[in-house]
Amino acid sequence: MSEIYELRVNGVDYPVTADANRNLSGVLRDELGLTGTKEGCDDCECGACMVLLDGQPINSCSYLAAQAQGREISTVEGLMDRDEMHPLQTNILECGGVQCGFCTPGMLMSAHALLERTPEPSLEEIKVGLSGNLCRCTGYGTIFEAVAAASKVEKVEP
Amino acid sequence: MRHSEPMRRFVRADGPEKVTGSGRYTADLTLTGQLIAKFRYAEVSHGRITKLDVSAAREVAGVLAVLTQDDVPDLRYGDAVADRTLFARDVVRFEGEVIAAVAATSAQAAQAGIDAIIVEIDELPAITDVEEALTEQSPLVHEGWADYESGWGCERNRNVASFSSISKGDAAAAMNTADHVVSSRFVADGSHALPIEPRSVVAQWEGNKVTIWTSTQVPFKARDGVCETLGLPSNRVRVIVPHLGGGFGGKCGFHFEAHIAALSRAARRPVKLVFSREEEFLAPDRRREGIVFEVTSGVMDNGDIVARTGKVVVDNGAYTADAGFFPQMASMHLAGPYKVANVHIDAHLVYTNHQPSGSVRAPTAPQACWALESHTDELAAAIGMDPVDFRLRNCVDTGDEGVVGQTYDEIGLIECIEAATGAAGYGRTELAADEAIGVAVGWWPSFPGASGAYVKLEADGSGEIITGAQECGTGSVMTLRQLAADELGMDPEDFQIVYQDTAAGPYDAGATGSQTLLNNGRAVQNASRQIAGQLRQMAADRFEASPDDIVLGDGVAMVVGTPDRSVPIAELARSSMNTELLLGHGSSAPVDTPVLRNSTCVGDMGLSAWIGPQFSCHAVRVKVDRDTGVARVVSVHAAHDSGTIINPIAARGQIEGGVVMGIGQALSEGTQYDERGAQRNAALLEYKLQTAADIPPIHTKFVEVFTNDAGPNGAKGVAEAPNVATAAAIANAISKVVGAPVRQLPMTAERVWEHSVGNGEVAS
Repeated sequence: MSEIYELRVNGVDYPVTADANRNLSGVLRDELGLTGTKEGCDDCECGACMVLLDGQPINSCSYLAAQAQGREISTVEGLMDRDEMHPLQTNILECGGVQCGFCTPGMLMSAHALLERTPEPSLEEIKVGLSGNLCRCTGYGTIFEAVAAASKVEKVEP
Repeated sequence: MRHSEPMRRFVRADGPEKVTGSGRYTADLTLTGQLIAKFRYAEVSHGRITKLDVSAAREVAGVLAVLTQDDVPDLRYGDAVADRTLFARDVVRFEGEVIAAVAATSAQAAQAGIDAIIVEIDELPAITDVEEALTEQSPLVHEGWADYESGWGCERNRNVASFSSISKGDAAAAMNTADHVVSSRFVADGSHALPIEPRSVVAQWEGNKVTIWTSTQVPFKARDGVCETLGLPSNRVRVIVPHLGGGFGGKCGFHFEAHIAALSRAARRPVKLVFSREEEFLAPDRRREGIVFEVTSGVMDNGDIVARTGKVVVDNGAYTADAGFFPQMASMHLAGPYKVANVHIDAHLVYTNHQPSGSVRAPTAPQACWALESHTDELAAAIGMDPVDFRLRNCVDTGDEGVVGQTYDEIGLIECIEAATGAAGYGRTELAADEAIGVAVGWWPSFPGASGAYVKLEADGSGEIITGAQECGTGSVMTLRQLAADELGMDPEDFQIVYQDTAAGPYDAGATGSQTLLNNGRAVQNASRQIAGQLRQMAADRFEASPDDIVLGDGVAMVVGTPDRSVPIAELARSSMNTELLLGHGSSAPVDTPVLRNSTCVGDMGLSAWIGPQFSCHAVRVKVDRDTGVARVVSVHAAHDSGTIINPIAARGQIEGGVVMGIGQALSEGTQYDERGAQRNAALLEYKLQTAADIPPIHTKFVEVFTNDAGPNGAKGVAEAPNVATAAAIANAISKVVGAPVRQLPMTAERVWEHSVGNGEVAS
């Protein structure tokens, strides 16, 4: 049965009409057109679908969309500030942390949540913070460097 | 000649869309009226179909098309041998084989259609042991396959899909003269390419033409597969690859594009397929092959290897896909980059009822290197020589002759060994009793092939590269901008790239065999040089100079040495509208390879002699908990001769990614089968990839050897080579700690622990 409700994504309220059993990643992608969030396993194992719910990273493939009502959902499409890329975005490119790019949106959202709660993470904290996101291309090291570099950029911001 | 291009920061052209979420992958596409496709799979590894009734499925609400082999041209296809059909007919040979396909208005309706198909299969004994499958008594995976066509001239002998041997000197006689003879046996499990993007295909017909968006690494090959199986000419099938979410070989080959195109034609609607992770594990014909190795070497007290014999049995799975050349590759890797005068190796590719094998990143090499390099440490131990000294003594260097009689031009293997072991502190570092540094050397060919590109300069001076090449994440297509910019004296950022569209660019083999920059790079250079010639002529006319005296650089064409006689390239481009458009086309003819002495049923394939062979040495420090068998990689030092490095960031990314894939293959990644041939760990939690938390520091050193007759500016390939030696180096470190080689791959904690116990090394 379809339900009608609202989801707040990247600061925008969207009306949603979807079955109650739809997962959040499916609604974001198919109903709202926000395909930046990827689906790699539908089982909470790969992290490609990682979004933030009130700032906390969750696997949106395994979260019911209707349960996200009244919460603040953040996806990769909301990372840019107008036309300015987020330091995580610029640094992951400059460090070579993007290859095929399929894990990148989820990786960026996990990293974003990490830097919000731990502005100056150690390497170990970065590794733990990204351990729910699988990357098959890069070997991860350049992504660690990008997160560390972005944390330094954020630190000098007012 | 040693050659080094200046290091450049290089942000990939497809980067902004990949980090902002605006880049589209195949599964992100939605077409108006689009249907959803689902497949019905065999679900048994071997059996005879006694009943297949789809009539009820056709009546399910929302189902617009149901297809079986009755609904498509009934022909067999395949690279090495035509051994399969789009849908199973009569017999199923692996659990992921497609029997029928449904297209419906929703995923639920499609699944209801699948569930309504009546399939009855009489199960046959599954042939799952590759060595038993090689025996005379084994039942056949393909009854009557002597009648199958083989473009590669395969022998079609019992279950042997292809055979290759290397024979040099007199191995038996030389073995009798050796001071020590060591025999080893190793068994490598199969594994998976496992790109994070599950594959997806969307097809749409307009009139008698079909456009297929698909997550393939090889768009032209996918197109040709559609044309062959559906009986269409090339110019009526357009394959477009949106962004590709990784491949690692798993998305090479022609897979499901024809199924979806046929569904779309039958339903008269666009049709979309998106694989689940489980389907991605079970259905593609691109699994990394399991292999059994037996190798015997004779060594002298002074450290010379005088003889080597070997036997390789490669698990082909149910269909041959592109695995026909695997025996050749596996035997080369079991011989190794060593000076051995007397060698005899036989390698067989053998059908079983497992998922088909196919080219996954450096096919056969990580397994064969693991076996050979474990064996090499055993040889060094037999004569009491340090294993690195033993390799330095026996490895091929510039001017040496390799195992098939190829004499190597300038190569950097010895420098790789010195660089990796030196940086790792091998022999100089105090290590705890539970730690060791293992060392292994590897090699891998560069693959020549036909490849084309166009380059054009627009009237505003911006450039466009239109290439048939495919980007799978490595950055090799992105690097083409740099090559065009170098030829035309412009900036890489001045160029956009149109790529992965068979209707736009000329032919290219795709993101396969580390070949993109090697072959398409030369094509782009050639196309750019045509425009450079046009620009020089235009500037020469303007300044009444000789075209030979015009230099292109910093965005201007200038008479050499006279900056006041220069004109911006953009101005020449604008004036080209009044004269002749600035268009270039380039192609890279395959490089000839010498014909060498070996015999193989699949022909030479250009692989017996290796164009631009790449060399590597990995030195890996590993810590082993002998009580539990858990091995952890502490650090990796990788040194690579991949020729000139064109794009340092991308090349580093290949090394680190390949090393981490190698760590996975070494320690955790292996397909487990039950006795009926079904995969037991077709899920990410059970098939464990390396995660961020597992990653050690990885240090990369490029030994840049300028290589003639290879890629642009002396480059070779780089993407597969780093995958070759990592597992082997880890194995040698584990062996040092636990006292004997672990003879099964992956070297899981259980297996390491068992070997540890076997050597009485376990703490009581």
